[in-house]
Amino acid sequence: MRKCKWWMLVLLAAAAAQVSEARIKLVALPDRGDTVIRLDNPAATLIEEERVLTLQKGVNKVDFAWNGVSLDVDSIRLTVLSHPEQVKLLNVSYPPNEQALVWELASPEALEVKARISYLLNGIDRLITYKAVADKEETQVDLKSHLVLRNFSGEDFTSARVLLNYGEAFEQGIQHEETKQLLFMKQDGIPIEKIWTFDAAKKPWDPEKVSGNVGIPVTYKIKNEKESKLGENSLWDGKVRVYQDDGHEGTIFLGEDNTALVPVGEEMEVYVGDSRDLVITQRKMQEKQINIRRNNSNHIVLYDTDEIITAKIENFKDKPAKLLLIQHIPGQWEMEKCSMEYERKDAGTLEFTVELKPQETRELTMHYHRRNVR
Amino acid sequence: MRWTAIICGVLFAVTGFAKVDLVTLPVREGVQLTIYNSADLTLVRENRALTLREGANKLQFSWANTLIDPTSLEMIPLAFAADLDVADLTYPPRTRNLGLWNVKSGRSGKVPVEINYLTSGFSWRAFYMGTLSEDEKTIRLQGYVRVTNNSGEDYENAETRLIVGKVNIIDRIADLARRDYPYGQPWKLPQEDDKDYSRMKKSRREMKNEVMMAMAPAPSSGVTMMRQKEIRKEGLSEYFLYTIEGTETIPHGWSKRLPSLDVADVPVVNLYKFEEDRYGERTVRFLSFKNDKEHKLGDTPIPDGSIRVYRTVDEAAHLSYEGRASFKYIPVDEKVELNIGAVSDVTVEPKLMDYKTDQYQFDRKGNIRGWDEIRTFEVEVKNMRPVPVKIEIIRNFHSPYWDLKKSGDFGEFEKTDLDTVKFTLELPPHSEKKFEYTLILHQGDRRN
Repeated sequence: MRKCKWWMLVLLAAAAAQVSEARIKLVALPDRGDTVIRLDNPAATLIEEERVLTLQKGVNKVDFAWNGVSLDVDSIRLTVLSHPEQVKLLNVSYPPNEQALVWELASPEALEVKARISYLLNGIDRLITYKAVADKEETQVDLKSHLVLRNFSGEDFTSARVLLNYGEAFEQGIQHEETKQLLFMKQDGIPIEKIWTFDAAKKPWDPEKVSGNVGIPVTYKIKNEKESKLGENSLWDGKVRVYQDDGHEGTIFLGEDNTALVPVGEEMEVYVGDSRDLVITQRKMQEKQINIRRNNSNHIVLYDTDEIITAKIENFKDKPAKLLLIQHIPGQWEMEKCSMEYERKDAGTLEFTVELKPQETRELTMHYHRRNVR
Repeated sequence: MRWTAIICGVLFAVTGFAKVDLVTLPVREGVQLTIYNSADLTLVRENRALTLREGANKLQFSWANTLIDPTSLEMIPLAFAADLDVADLTYPPRTRNLGLWNVKSGRSGKVPVEINYLTSGFSWRAFYMGTLSEDEKTIRLQGYVRVTNNSGEDYENAETRLIVGKVNIIDRIADLARRDYPYGQPWKLPQEDDKDYSRMKKSRREMKNEVMMAMAPAPSSGVTMMRQKEIRKEGLSEYFLYTIEGTETIPHGWSKRLPSLDVADVPVVNLYKFEEDRYGERTVRFLSFKNDKEHKLGDTPIPDGSIRVYRTVDEAAHLSYEGRASFKYIPVDEKVELNIGAVSDVTVEPKLMDYKTDQYQFDRKGNIRGWDEIRTFEVEVKNMRPVPVKIEIIRNFHSPYWDLKKSGDFGEFEKTDLDTVKFTLELPPHSEKKFEYTLILHQGDRRN
C-alpha cells in the first residue's frame, strides 16, 4: 500500500554573503500545527496548515516536498502570519525531478515566525447523502443528511478542523484511504408534496401497444424554506434514498435519486419510482388542414390545422392523486376548446394539474389550431 | 463450516484503535428481508442486542463475501435512544468490507439495535397457471412467487416480504457492493486495488464452490405448518407489499416457490383480435377478464409474470395446453387481455371486392389536384370452435382523411383514433358472418 511520507518541511538558513553549500545548516523541522480542511467548494479541497518557522537573520531556505501526494502545484501559497512586515518572501524555486519547492525568505533578525501554507489537495473530498423516511400517508418525511469524508490524498490527517460552506466547523481526523460518514443534519416532520408526472413527449401514448407497463414517474417535492422546517441553508447535491414507514414498525425502500443543489426558497425534487396504477391513454382523434391559402399556381402555400387530442386518465388507486400532465404543441397555435385548465409554461408547453379522486377516470380533450403552417 | 460473513462485534475503545478488544459477538436475533423484483435490491433489517459500556464504544460490522451496499448501512437504537449517540461510521483504511460505528453510550448494559442495509442477490418473480373450464367460460387462476437467494448470506428464519413495484435506482446495488471503497474515491489510485478486487472476486467463487460441495441444507420454513402459508398483501405508496406468513430460511443458492393466489371460477371472455399491422394475417387469441370483485379478484394488483394456460378436457380432469402469455402488472379494476397466441380455428379474411377512383379535381392547367380512392372490402369471419367467441377487427387506414360506409347486419364500428377503426363481433359456436365496408380515402386537395 502506498503511504506517503511527505510534508518534510526543512528549514535551511544561509547567510547572505556565505553562499557555500557547506555552510547551510538545518535549523528546524517544524511540526504541522493547526490544520484546516476546507470543503466549501465541491470542485477542490483547500488545505491550510500552520507551522512555526525558526528563521535566522539573512536568507532562509524553506524546503517543501510532497512525494506521493497529488496537489495543485500552482495553488501553493505561503502566508507569513507573524512579523509580515519584516519577513519577505524572495522567490520560489523548484528543484529538478522532485515533488518539491524551495521558498527563500529574508529575515532581518532571528525570528520565530508563524506561517500558513495553503494548497489545493487532490483525492480528498466530501459527499452529501440524504435519507428520508416518509410517513405512511406520504405527507411528510424525517430527513437525515450525512457528510461523507473521503481521503485518498496520500496524507493522514490526525486532527483537522473541517469547514463546510455553512454550519459549525468541527474537529475530525481522517487517515489516507479512510472514509467517514458523519451525521450532518437531521430534521423530522418536513412536509412533502407527492406528484405524478406524465409528459406526452416522453411517454408512449397508448399503453396497450407497449410490452411493459408505462410507469408514471412519482416525485416527492420538499421546499427548502422555513415553513418546511428548513430554509437555513442550501441543500447540497447528493444521493437521496427514500424509505417509508410500513405501519409495522419497519420501513420499506421506496427509491433513490440524485438531487441538485437546492438554494433556499427552491424545491428539492426526488424522483422516487414509477406508478403503474395511473394509466394515461392519449390519442390524436383529428388532424385536418383548414384556411388553406394558395399561390397563383394554385399550390398550397399556407394553412392552419384543426387538431383534436384526447387523453384518458385513469386512477386505479384507492387514494387520490395529483397528476402533472405535460402537453406540447409546436409552432404558432391557438386553443379552440380545452376541457381542462392549463398553464402555459413556454411557447410550446402546456401544463395541466389534474386532481384525481380514488378510482376516478377523467378525460382531457384539446381542440386546437396550429396557425400559418407552410 | 459457516461461510457467510456478516459479523457484528462490539469493540470497546480503550486507548486507541490499536488496543481495541473484541468483547462480544452478538447474534442476530431477528431478520426481515424485503425483496424487490423491479431491481436487484433487498432491504435487510436485523435486530441485535449489543452490550455497551458507558462511554465510547466501537461497533464493528463486516460483510466479506456478501453483496451488501456499505453506503446503505444504518444502525438505529430500538431503546434508550436518548442515551446513545452514533457519532460516525468509519470505513477504516486498508480494510475491506468492514465498518466501524463509534457510539457514545450514556449507559452500560444491553441495548437492542436495528441494523439495516441494502443487499443485492435476492430476487423474486411471479408466475401463474390458468386452468380453463371445459366450456371456457371460467378459469382457475393460481399464482406463485419464486424467491431466489444468491446473496452470499443464509439469513435463517427471516421474515420475508416482497415488493411489487418499480423503484427508481441510481446505482446498481451489486456495483456498490463490489466497490473497493464504500463511496469510491475521488480519483483512481494505481492498479493495486484492482488486484485486491480480483482477489476478492476469486475468493467469492471459491466460496461458492465450497458451498456446493458442502451441500447446504434445504430451505425450510421457520415454523412447521400443516397447511400452505398465506401471504398478506397491502398497498404502500405506489407499491404492493406481500408478507409471507411466519419466517423462511432460504440458504444461499436455493430458490423457493410459494403460492400467492388461488381463485377458481373467474369468468373469462374468449376474445380474438385481428389487426394486420400488429399481428399479421392470423387471428390472435386473448383471454380477457378484469381484476375486480365481479371476477372474484380485485383485492390487490396482480404482479406481472407469465401464465401457462390449460383447459380441462374431460370429466377425468385431463388437461390440454392452450398457450402461454406474459402479462403486465394489472392494477385493481383494470382489464387484462392475455395474449395466448395465434390460432387457426377462428379466422378473419378481409377481401378487397372493388376498387375505383372518383371525384377528380383539376387545376387551371389541367393537372390533377385531388381525387378519392374508393375501396370496398368484404370481411368474412369464421368461428370453427365449439364455444362462442368475441372478435375485434381493427383496421388502420394510415391517413386521417377518410370516410367509411358500412353495410351488414351487426354492430357499428368505433373510431379509436384518427386513422383506426374497430369492428366488434360476437359469434356463436361453429358459425360465420360476413360484413362489408366501403372506405373512401381522400387524396390531394380532396383532403380539405
